[in-house]
Amino acid sequence: MNLDWLDAFLIYGFFTIVVVSGLGLLLHLQLGLARIANFGVVGFFGIGMYSFGVLYVKVDWPFGDPWQFLVCIAAGTLAAGLSGVVVGWLVGDLNEDGVLVGTLGFATAVFILATTEKELTGGAQGMGGLQFPYDVGGVKANELLWLVITAAVVGGIVFYVWRVHRSPYGRLLVAVGSNEPLARSLGKPTFRTKLWLFAVTSAGMGLLGAMYGVMERFLRPTNLGVDITLAAMVALVLGGSARVWGAVVGVVLTVGFFDIIVQNYLPVPVEWYSQALPVMREALFGAALILVLMFRPFGILGDMRRDKLMRSLHGD
Amino acid sequence: MSETATPILEVRGLRSGYGGVTVLKGLDMDVGNEVFAVLGANGAGKTTLLATLARLIPLQGGTIRFRGNEVSGLPAFETAGRGVGYVPQEKGVFADLSVFENLCVGGMIGQRDRDERMAEVFGLFPDLAALRTQLAGTLSGGESRMLACGRALMQDPKLLLLDEPTAGLSPLYVDMFFEKVREIRATRGVSIILAEQNATKALAVADRVMVLSLGEAFLTEETGSLTTEKLKQGYRI
Repeated sequence: MNLDWLDAFLIYGFFTIVVVSGLGLLLHLQLGLARIANFGVVGFFGIGMYSFGVLYVKVDWPFGDPWQFLVCIAAGTLAAGLSGVVVGWLVGDLNEDGVLVGTLGFATAVFILATTEKELTGGAQGMGGLQFPYDVGGVKANELLWLVITAAVVGGIVFYVWRVHRSPYGRLLVAVGSNEPLARSLGKPTFRTKLWLFAVTSAGMGLLGAMYGVMERFLRPTNLGVDITLAAMVALVLGGSARVWGAVVGVVLTVGFFDIIVQNYLPVPVEWYSQALPVMREALFGAALILVLMFRPFGILGDMRRDKLMRSLHGD
Repeated sequence: MSETATPILEVRGLRSGYGGVTVLKGLDMDVGNEVFAVLGANGAGKTTLLATLARLIPLQGGTIRFRGNEVSGLPAFETAGRGVGYVPQEKGVFADLSVFENLCVGGMIGQRDRDERMAEVFGLFPDLAALRTQLAGTLSGGESRMLACGRALMQDPKLLLLDEPTAGLSPLYVDMFFEKVREIRATRGVSIILAEQNATKALAVADRVMVLSLGEAFLTEETGSLTTEKLKQGYRI
């Protein structure tokens, strides 16, 4: 397939938009519905990425791709989900500050483990050996197909979030986030509810981490910087943390603007790419967050509108 | 007890509070199939008592038996599942959910058909039916109390804990609410513990009364035999 017309940077830009949108959507279930401020998104992302990578590269499997690939990616997803259960169990009964510090600490621990466990992860030098489970003719074609597959997975996450908003489970999450003691007094096992939420969303974050690792093909601890969490968090708050499409709109406006428009179409000096642009990116995201919180605290799409949803569902 | 010999709720030596502070200091009470009013000055421990019975505050000592079973060690959600409905004084609704959804959350436990229970709640509080798609956070104080009460009734409780349901409401709503307490009692036969500041109104609907004073039961007796003098002593005035 001749894809000379397609800039490799564009594929990466759109891939980043898709992955961060997926993370933002999962974070939306935690923050937007259940009011759990998880600042350790990249920790679960990293568990999925490295579990998949280590199992795929280091283990001598009796079968090859695509089964080896699928088994490893499923194991990475499962490992992230289990880590979500453990972290959820540890922070589930803490207040907002405790959850914030606990999840941030978890992400830091994952980063340190990825750096220091050289036997497993390759440490700071990184670990290669990952590859796509197919070959459709050339690196660019493989990457494009992987972008489409990842977009389909994130489409599935959008559908799941959309369904949660319309289900008794979504109602329960909002109830737990809105007034947990009251929810408990109504017979709801709120701790168990939060644990299940952590398990499912963390598994999703791990799956996205593994998919990100496949696209990178070379895992480094620098992939697990706090900028991933910040990108998802800023985009979600900017778009509207309580709305289904908030994360996607926010990611398009932040990551999309910077990683597609600025990096591909603006006449930026080449020497800026290594040092200045990443710093400018974080500064711009931070400024956007401050402005949104000052002038539109519920985000561009606004606050949750359960009344509208109810009217649309019940027709009155 | 006025109407039944077997208490639905038996409390012995109940001690509870917040952090290191003990608010209830060894309370004994039996509640039967009746309206049981809990009166007392601010800080007497009424809210603490009801929140403890709903198992939202950990016990520091004593036992709670509900329908013959020990529930002292149960978490709140299991206590609710056994038939204890709780209407807190404040923050009694889920502000981000619509009226309909608030009632649905209340109706997640209970055996009967949810729509049937909701129709009964709308029959009791017709105003809620017209507000069913409105966000609970936008309701007036009176409407919120109706919703909180309706939501607790969706659980089909055997014991309803009402924590100062008329606090801060206009006289019109106060009269309406006490009328509703009578109606709930008459139509559902549910036992009710009613913590109130409005002693006159509470005594008019209650079968028995307990006056709390500084975390202890100053007196417990039939409403008919309570004198103003005793009540004043309980309120320390």
